[in-house]
Amino acid sequence: MNGVAADALDVRRGAFRLRVDGFGADARGTAVLGPNGAGKTTLLLALQGLIPSHGAIRRPARCAAAFARPAVLRASALANVAVVVRAARGATAAAAEERARSALAEVGLAAFAGADARTLSTGQRQRLALARALAVEPDALFLDEPFANVDADARPALRALIGAYVRRSGCALVVATSFLADAVALCERCVVLHDGAVAARCDVAALASCDDRYVAALLEEARFPA
Amino acid sequence: MLAIAALSVAVTSAATAIAAILAIPAALWIVHGRSTARAALLALFTAGLGLPPVAVGLAVAFAFWRSGPFGAFDLLYTPGAMMLAQVIVVLPLIGTLAVVSLRGGDPTLAQQLAGLGVPRRARLALLAREVAPGLVAAILAGFGRGIAEVGAAQMTGGNIEGQTRVLTTATMLAVGKGEFGEAFGYVAVLLGIMIVVAGVALTLQRRWA
Repeated sequence: MNGVAADALDVRRGAFRLRVDGFGADARGTAVLGPNGAGKTTLLLALQGLIPSHGAIRRPARCAAAFARPAVLRASALANVAVVVRAARGATAAAAEERARSALAEVGLAAFAGADARTLSTGQRQRLALARALAVEPDALFLDEPFANVDADARPALRALIGAYVRRSGCALVVATSFLADAVALCERCVVLHDGAVAARCDVAALASCDDRYVAALLEEARFPA
Repeated sequence: MLAIAALSVAVTSAATAIAAILAIPAALWIVHGRSTARAALLALFTAGLGLPPVAVGLAVAFAFWRSGPFGAFDLLYTPGAMMLAQVIVVLPLIGTLAVVSLRGGDPTLAQQLAGLGVPRRARLALLAREVAPGLVAAILAGFGRGIAEVGAAQMTGGNIEGQTRVLTTATMLAVGKGEFGEAFGYVAVLLGIMIVVAGVALTLQRRWA
């Protein structure tokens, strides 16, 4: 099984320091929860090897990520996905475009395939980022607030899309999110970060009994309008 | 006329190429480097935007004076000296505009491409494509400033017929002699060159758009 793991991880970014030990994720999904500035994004970047860190990190060779603020190339949505598929998978131009077209359709962007990616709304860009990440067919998928600006009524279908891919491929999944629904839909385990340290770990099914003030706030919000 | 136009294009093309080769890596360093000296170089570039070509020309001419520090090179009143002066005139402009265009993109693009498994070489190629139109514009602006300036060319070249006469210095001389028709001819050729160069730059930018 594909897995992501980190032990004795120590990351410094300016004045901020993140320390995580015994982190693990596989196809059952690990959610990373915590308030702004707790270190969720830093953890994801370090796990991917995109920022310098100390410690032992294990991840599959083929990883992909979708970020909250996706950066796009000065090209059409279709070209944005196709270029990445070509470069990351060594696919032919025709195969990459075919793959890109179906990936865009899966995230509901078929009508925007020809649109300049820079003109897409933030939510549409997030869909594009997801299409781009899935099109690479990774063995580990890192999602950082993947639906922060996506329409509420589109989120369930996108979560289902990710879930289906993960089940089909056995891809390891790490999701940093501020939505309880993401964790519940995609992950079996969760890690709660506060100020650069792990404050709690629990099964998502047992979140209600998790002794953490941030998780309590998430659950409280989810109870609306009780 | 043809020789004069050819020398204009040759001197300014060489000066622009040298300035770009120096200014673009410098701009990359200013945008992506870590040293604190970056701010000083950017300040130098920005201040250099206002450098009067005639002042640069005077300084270069002085340096290459027979009794000056570089007099031994025997470069004064040669196309080489004109080119050197134009490099100094053009470099700050290309450098400043290159910094602006390199800063324009999303700073996390390289990281996100890496996060998608795009290999380093492909990443660099994609990033280069992103900034290419801005860099082309910077180089075009540099060429335009170089070929249009008259002060540095006059000071360092001396407007010697058949040797260092370029379109701008020839225009000045023609006006001085009251040969207005000739002057307008030179200016028309100058404009024609800029139109052709701008057309080439636009075509390049469109290809990368």
